[in-house]
Amino acid sequence: MRTILKVNEVTKIYTKGQKPSLHKVSFEAEAGEFIGIMGASGSGKTTLLNVLSTIDRPTEGNVLIDDVNLEKLSDSEAADFRRDHLGFIFQEYFLLDSLTVRENISVPLTLQKIPPKKIEYMVRSLAERFGIASQLDKYPGELSGGQRQRVSAARAVIKKPGILFADEPTGALDSASATELLKALYEANRDLRTMILMVTHDPYAASYANRILIFRDGRIVEELRRNRDERQKFYERIIEKVAEMDTGRN
Amino acid sequence: MKREMNYEMNAFYIAYRNLKKNVSFYLLYFVSAAFVIAVFFSFTSFSKSRIILDKISSDGRVETMCSTISVFLMAFVIFYMAYSNRFFLRRRTKELGIYALLGYRKADILKLLISENIYICCLAFLFGILMGALAYRGIVCLINGLLRLGIRQSELSFLDPSAVAQTAVFVAAVLVILVISNGRFLWRSSLMDLVRFEKSAEKKMKFHKLPAAAGFLMILSGYGLSLDILRGSRSVWIRAGFYQTGLLTLFLVTAGTVLFIAFFLPYVMERSKRHKKSFYTDMKIVTTPGFIYRIRSNSRTLIMLTLLSAAVLTVSSVMALTLYYPIAAVSRVAPSEIEFRIGDGMREEDIIDLAERYAPDAADTEITITDLYRVTSDSDHLPVEYSLGSSMNGAQGEEILREAGFECISYSQYRRLLEEQGKNKAADRYAPLSGNECILLKYQPDEQEEPEAGRQYVLDFANGSAEVTVKELSLDNVISFANSVGTLVVSDELYSAISRGQTPDVRVASLNGSALKDNEALYQALSDYLDGSPYLQGHSHRINELIYMNSSTFLLIGFLVILFFIAAGSILYFNNRSAAEDSKADYEILEKIGYRRSKIRKIIRRQIRAFFAIPFLLGLADCIFASMVYKAGLMQNLLGSSWSQYVPVGIAVLLTALIYFVYYILTVKSCCATVWPLDRTMNCSAIGQNDELSTRI
Repeated sequence: MRTILKVNEVTKIYTKGQKPSLHKVSFEAEAGEFIGIMGASGSGKTTLLNVLSTIDRPTEGNVLIDDVNLEKLSDSEAADFRRDHLGFIFQEYFLLDSLTVRENISVPLTLQKIPPKKIEYMVRSLAERFGIASQLDKYPGELSGGQRQRVSAARAVIKKPGILFADEPTGALDSASATELLKALYEANRDLRTMILMVTHDPYAASYANRILIFRDGRIVEELRRNRDERQKFYERIIEKVAEMDTGRN
Repeated sequence: MKREMNYEMNAFYIAYRNLKKNVSFYLLYFVSAAFVIAVFFSFTSFSKSRIILDKISSDGRVETMCSTISVFLMAFVIFYMAYSNRFFLRRRTKELGIYALLGYRKADILKLLISENIYICCLAFLFGILMGALAYRGIVCLINGLLRLGIRQSELSFLDPSAVAQTAVFVAAVLVILVISNGRFLWRSSLMDLVRFEKSAEKKMKFHKLPAAAGFLMILSGYGLSLDILRGSRSVWIRAGFYQTGLLTLFLVTAGTVLFIAFFLPYVMERSKRHKKSFYTDMKIVTTPGFIYRIRSNSRTLIMLTLLSAAVLTVSSVMALTLYYPIAAVSRVAPSEIEFRIGDGMREEDIIDLAERYAPDAADTEITITDLYRVTSDSDHLPVEYSLGSSMNGAQGEEILREAGFECISYSQYRRLLEEQGKNKAADRYAPLSGNECILLKYQPDEQEEPEAGRQYVLDFANGSAEVTVKELSLDNVISFANSVGTLVVSDELYSAISRGQTPDVRVASLNGSALKDNEALYQALSDYLDGSPYLQGHSHRINELIYMNSSTFLLIGFLVILFFIAAGSILYFNNRSAAEDSKADYEILEKIGYRRSKIRKIIRRQIRAFFAIPFLLGLADCIFASMVYKAGLMQNLLGSSWSQYVPVGIAVLLTALIYFVYYILTVKSCCATVWPLDRTMNCSAIGQNDELSTRI
């Protein structure tokens, strides 16, 4: 497998003299991996996601995606890099309210100047995969939370990004909607070979990943690999690990 | 009692903190309120100043206009302040909901709002009075110079106490109205409404074909009706009646504008989405739905601004035409610098003496006496000028004003007068007349179906008769209409035949030259010499008279126009700025998706541009058609059809465009600053550091 993400000794300090939000974090990831990032609030999960996705820059260290050093990118180059290589899903969905579902999903493709006919075809087929084909002409305000998040996921996946960043994607969903979304992400990861980096608090959501990085105080303190375990088995291992760490904290 | 005091201090304190924290947001509200009060104060000072009114108003006309305009002015200030207040209240509904959740009673929240309004109104009042006093001084200086009123600045007090008092009472009244409006809003809203207010704004949009088509057709037919006036006597305006057609046009355009904005524009934009090729672009896919969404949720504001824009642009243009056109027409109404009829017993030497006394050392002064001979004709199809002014529409018993006939002057006299009046180009245009050729000087341009040029008339005069052919028609009259209408320029041979052995019917003295320009003393001396004769005409005198008569009207309308610009610009600013704040999250998403910041700026600019363009362009179209109707229907056409007459309309439009443009630039800057503040907060830290790093690299 090809390594596409290299994180080298990344440190992020927001205010001088304060504790770093990320402290010398290093890891690598290969194409097609589904990585879960877990940890308590303030442990540095979202900061890591921001740094890896060019939204924020590290104070020290560097991040390479497909051998491109993100530190060297100008604002405009970073925008183009996001356009061509990265996808995002957020807890708050972040859909454009004045655009229909179809238009929301199409936006990243228009940016890549894909012909309209192809856009329409791609939107339709992806909408079917995510179970939102009948909602295409509705506005986000008319959808349930689960449907909105699936639209958000479809928008992120449609341009076949090298890496998909998901920040607490199931945080605002009921369990049925969360499961549907996670299955959709799992299938996208399996079929499209899109690498997923998902920040989550929820061990159930994390169990869809094949590797978990657990953060505490800006460092990776634990790494779990699914190997050939069933999802349920992996879920139990994650629960055990989280409980163990909580015990250690006491 | 003590607790109560502390509590009120608290409300004031919270209000103070809130204003301080949101100073950039409230700044324009405060500045525009201060400007509005400044306009009101300078207007009040002006209308209360006896020193000025005594000089510019002799018949109470200005006082009546002042009181009429003050009503409009007050209504406009109240409307604007109420709109801005409600706008800010809506922006803060959620915050008020949090106060309510924390246990504030509605009365307590109202106290907080009253405190904020008191702060803003008091500060705006103070600044407004100061700016207004300065503006008042400037205005007095301006009209003093323009109308030569001879007012000494020391005669005027800097702050007129009665104007200050009246403005204070008015601001207090506005404050009471705002309190009542806020109270009504609070008491009508439940806690749920307050907390969830912003969410309830999102509704499914529906597009109605019928009202959309109706809006488009109504506007189109309104404009069509306006254009119809150009058909002259065959137009509906003449056949069905001017006022009936005017009212119908007004209704069609107003109702059409409402439907056009509320239904037609969103419908057309929605339809434009079907053109996949143009819609599926990185700009259009964001701007088109955004535009539809905004236009639907802000259609009332846009309609109001468009109708106000149209009204103000039309009033400005009509006012500009009303002043400019008569001034431009003075070249026909009084072509010579000074002109009068020479009566019996009047000596030419007296006139020369007077001219030399009041305009000494004037080498280029020319005094020309022109003899006019009246001839009659029985020919068919005589021009309207032949009998113009000979009776009051032929009504019986009316005084006969002039005898019907042609008034003849020779070609040489005509040419000489043209040259003396400085119309050398016109003088060169008319080739010498031979034998029986003549030039007919028209009162108004020829609008008849059969052209008058080429017609033949048999002229009867004391020494015989002659058949003449109209070689051409001309609007370059050299004698004023007070002294000659139906003037016929004949060849020198024919003129000598007509005049041989005859006493002229009218003798006209024309005085021209640079020393006579604006020479009021000479004009006055001649007026005394002629015993106030109505045949005395002065070119500069007439222009000065027109400026004097119209300037106060202009000034007073000017107050309203300025007020409109402050209000309209501020409303557009508030509205766009608020939309930018609402869309901040959207722009963040776009940035994350991969839109460059320059592209997002372009999106913001496009969205704001559309919002500015609708009231401006629709208002402009309304103004053009309304000015055309006014010009064609209600103004005398002395100058023929020339685009140069629309120069003042053009200037009014350009000025408006410039003011809109300045507001547009300010709004774009402010919206971009809202979306990307200077990255001091955590939210924008990423972006800020990006900038920092890229600069470093």
